[in-house]
Amino acid sequence: VRVIDVTSTKETDMPKFLCLQRTLPGAQDGARPSPAQMQQMYAKFEEWRSKFKDNLVDLGGRLGSGRVVTAQPPPDGPFVELKEIVGGYMIVSAESLDEAADIARGCPGLVRPGSGVEVIEIRSP
Amino acid sequence: LKFRHEHGRLVAMLVRRVGVRHIELVEDAVQAAMLAAVETWPRAGKPDNESAWLHRAASNHLIGELRSRARRDRLLERNTAPEEHVDAELPGLGGDVSDDMLRMLFACCEPSMPAESQLVLALKTLSGFSTAEIAARLFTTEANVYKRLARARALLRELPFAPDELEQELSARLAGVQSIGYVMFSEGHLSSHAEHAIRRELCDEAIRLVTLLAEHRVTATPETFALLALMHLHAARLSARHGSGGLVLFEEQDRSLWDAREIELGLAWLARSASGDVLSRYHVEAGIAAEHCLAPSFAETRWDRIAESYALLDRIAPSPLAKLNRAIALAEARGPDAGLAALDGLEPPSWLAGSYLWSAVLADLHGRSGHLEAARRHRDVALATAPSPAIRDLLARRLDYTSASGG
Repeated sequence: VRVIDVTSTKETDMPKFLCLQRTLPGAQDGARPSPAQMQQMYAKFEEWRSKFKDNLVDLGGRLGSGRVVTAQPPPDGPFVELKEIVGGYMIVSAESLDEAADIARGCPGLVRPGSGVEVIEIRSP
Repeated sequence: LKFRHEHGRLVAMLVRRVGVRHIELVEDAVQAAMLAAVETWPRAGKPDNESAWLHRAASNHLIGELRSRARRDRLLERNTAPEEHVDAELPGLGGDVSDDMLRMLFACCEPSMPAESQLVLALKTLSGFSTAEIAARLFTTEANVYKRLARARALLRELPFAPDELEQELSARLAGVQSIGYVMFSEGHLSSHAEHAIRRELCDEAIRLVTLLAEHRVTATPETFALLALMHLHAARLSARHGSGGLVLFEEQDRSLWDAREIELGLAWLARSASGDVLSRYHVEAGIAAEHCLAPSFAETRWDRIAESYALLDRIAPSPLAKLNRAIALAEARGPDAGLAALDGLEPPSWLAGSYLWSAVLADLHGRSGHLEAARRHRDVALATAPSPAIRDLLARRLDYTSASGG
């Protein structure tokens, strides 16, 4: 099991960015990868991960269903389910928004027809 | 760990437990488990036992799916099928996995199915190829593969293979299973179209499946050993067929490129096949392949023995290809006229008469006998019917002397 040390100085020095995987209109759900293709996906992901290992603060994960908690009683629905918009998240460290965007773009399977990524700087206090 | 092979193992194990009628659910569950692995392993680290992880994930997915189906059927009061028995936990990795693989292979080789469908089903379930990958390997359309799979699965649901009578079923179906292995290998070995890597993969896959047969008590027969010997002896020479400039003629192959390990394996299986009182076509074909592998050079090949073997093969499994090959061997042993004499009076079936193989051999034999007019005529047909540019180039080069000496 690999543990990512989020307290290391190298990472705290650099700005951090929240990457949200967003499902875009026109998402293709039909094509199912074959075992050989899945093996390739895995290999590519590992390659990407090792290339940017110093930048990947938290590989995050997929998001499930959620609930909106508000001060006021919620207005009548329907709410768009959270996972329909944001499929997953991760946190990367980078010198700039551009660099963070490049790291996210390089992540296999993230940026493709029907899926994009939103990269947002996390402001330190 | 190879995902494709893991797919075959998992499908076989799970089908064994829930029955072949659920084969599609099983394949979906294995697919879901692999996707989960691809997503989870990079984050959490690879599990110590990847196979066990995949097995657990696929089992859980499958149980969940079977349960929700059972619930749905109850809700719809559609209890047409007998009560679905869903184990709380499917048995683990214990038991004999190769037994499961063998059962699955035999289930794929349902005799009432066309051979192409058996092949497609085996490539899908046991080899883990997708419909697109199968279509690319068998030179057919994805729609055709899909149609064949759908029909094959429907048939399997109707005719469930009785897994408890393994031994009787195994012996009864063994010949059919061997034949599918042979066809799979030939698709890789003889196909004139595919890329080298793709062809190699089909050959390796056939070797993997027939090795299962050879290692199982019930299916380890002399014929199985001979089939496996034949595959290794052909596989040994696969990579030498491709040079930098495309296909390489057999007589020009660099024999040092032949795979010594494969030859060794092939000869070992051939030795084991020499028992019992059945001489199968696999024995004869393996014997011919061994002759080639053991010959120090093209010229020093024992062509007379090869010609005899093809004659024997033609008696066991009559085929115009065996006759054609015998003529080629005779031409090497005793000259081109002997080869032509062997073909004299033979009416090839239309598929062979229209193929480049037939006309190329005739062009070559006539050319070497000095019948230049006939040689040119056959050469033109051979070039026109060559199935790929690589083969066309090869033929043009090989049959060139006819025009050169004919001036």
